Amino acid sequence: MTGALPALEAAGLRKVYRARGGGQVVAVDGLSFAVRPGEVVGLLGPNGAGKTTAMQLALALLEPDAGEVRLFGRDPELLEVRRRVGYAPDAPLFPRRLTGLQILALHGELLGFRRVAARDRAERFAEQVGVAEPARRPAGTYSRGQAQRLGLALALLGDPDLVLLDEPTAGLDPAGVAAMRELLVSLRGRGAAVLLNSHLLSEVERVCDRVLFIKEGRLLRTHDVRAGGRRAEVRLANAVQVSARLAEKIPGGALEGDRFRVPVASEDVVPALVRELVASGAEILEVRLGGAELEQLYLQIVEGRA
Amino acid sequence: MISWPVARAAAREKLRSPAILVVGACFVSAAALGGRAGAPGDTFGGFGVAFLLVLTLALGAGLLSDELDSGHAQLVLLRPLTRAAWLGGRLAGAGVALAAVTAAAWAAAAVASLGSGHALPLSALALLPLAVLWAFAWLSVLTALGAILPGWTNAGALVVAAIAWATLRTTLPALLGHPEWAAAAAELSKYLGPQDPLGLAFDRHALGPALYDACWVFFAWLVAALLFNRRELARRRP
Repeated sequence: MTGALPALEAAGLRKVYRARGGGQVVAVDGLSFAVRPGEVVGLLGPNGAGKTTAMQLALALLEPDAGEVRLFGRDPELLEVRRRVGYAPDAPLFPRRLTGLQILALHGELLGFRRVAARDRAERFAEQVGVAEPARRPAGTYSRGQAQRLGLALALLGDPDLVLLDEPTAGLDPAGVAAMRELLVSLRGRGAAVLLNSHLLSEVERVCDRVLFIKEGRLLRTHDVRAGGRRAEVRLANAVQVSARLAEKIPGGALEGDRFRVPVASEDVVPALVRELVASGAEILEVRLGGAELEQLYLQIVEGRA
Repeated sequence: MISWPVARAAAREKLRSPAILVVGACFVSAAALGGRAGAPGDTFGGFGVAFLLVLTLALGAGLLSDELDSGHAQLVLLRPLTRAAWLGGRLAGAGVALAAVTAAAWAAAAVASLGSGHALPLSALALLPLAVLWAFAWLSVLTALGAILPGWTNAGALVVAAIAWATLRTTLPALLGHPEWAAAAAELSKYLGPQDPLGLAFDRHALGPALYDACWVFFAWLVAALLFNRRELARRRP
């Protein structure tokens, strides 16, 4: 996989905004990164770190002051390259008087589908992201979450090989967040490359292969989420009573206070772990997969806390 | 040059706009009243032409910026579509809405005229395409202005420029002590924007204004495309 041509490759990107009054704001400064097919890469950083600007530069919606972006090894402005890209912006707005289905069908036609096929596709994708019913109403009546879902449907409409998602879970209800997670996993499963900008650290850790920490437009560090394996953290009501039995049954785990921490290969093994714990007499209050590590890493790298 | 899916969406959007519907209703009513008075030729004269201009301004105001400000234009332009084709699509869509409302006004005038027992002269038939061409040429100018101006300021800028020029050309020659310049300024005015070709309906030899307006449509689209190609498209967060 690492030998494949990157779906997105940014080299030395720099973007300076000219503020009113003559000032300058360096939004992105010497940023280089790549996203390969079948890889989900997260962008993490505080507000104003330059994550959205980086995405807009990658899509050629902004002109860089320095540096270069290649999509699939080619100029991002080429029409055949654009056919392979999907983008869901943060807080999208749509023509108020067109229905979601009409907007989806418009994009379907622009992607080269015939009118009838574009309409069928519009209905299918609206259903897939959970806006089948609202999509029949004018977009001006949508809630933030519904607009977000419609934006997601638009991003996925052309079965893109590269998907850029800017805060896709903002405004989504918990079911929407879970559906988004499944969607990202399925995108990776079919070999698409995904660049994800999200503040939901737990979600980023669950779905991303790599995370880029960005601050003041600079790349501080790249963290390989998969390299160190993952860890399940289980809070127990009777940790003291079952400690000996857990040490015997699950030797890789470590008990700290009421929390039992176990390295796991992937989230697929968590149900078996829970069954094992229950069989050992443990009373489980909460199970968490990862999250805390990335949060600590984020605070350490981005905020400079020890 | 023109993206027809974009044009269809733009026409649909414009024809559902309450502002366009209100102006359109006024235009149709004024045309019907003119027709009852036995003057279908007045559909695009007097009050009629005023409503046609207001309709054109309403259709052209924010034709590009509404989409750009919402961020939808950016999503559309990430599709395999050139900026010029998007511009052409938006302009054509607004043109279709313009033609639809103008045709309704013309039909209202014709029906009212016939219903009142008046004859419908052949020249009245030529009024519709000529009026649409003239208004569409102004719509193209609004589109070119909209390629660089934000919000609805393209319509504002055009109105201000028209008023400023009308004031200057009538007052400046006298103020400067050269009243003879007024005639030259009036002649120059004909070339500062699309020309009213409605005279064509009555004088078959006056093809000039119609051709001139067709050129305005093409050059305004070209200028719009050139200006728009230089723009960055990223939207600021709402």
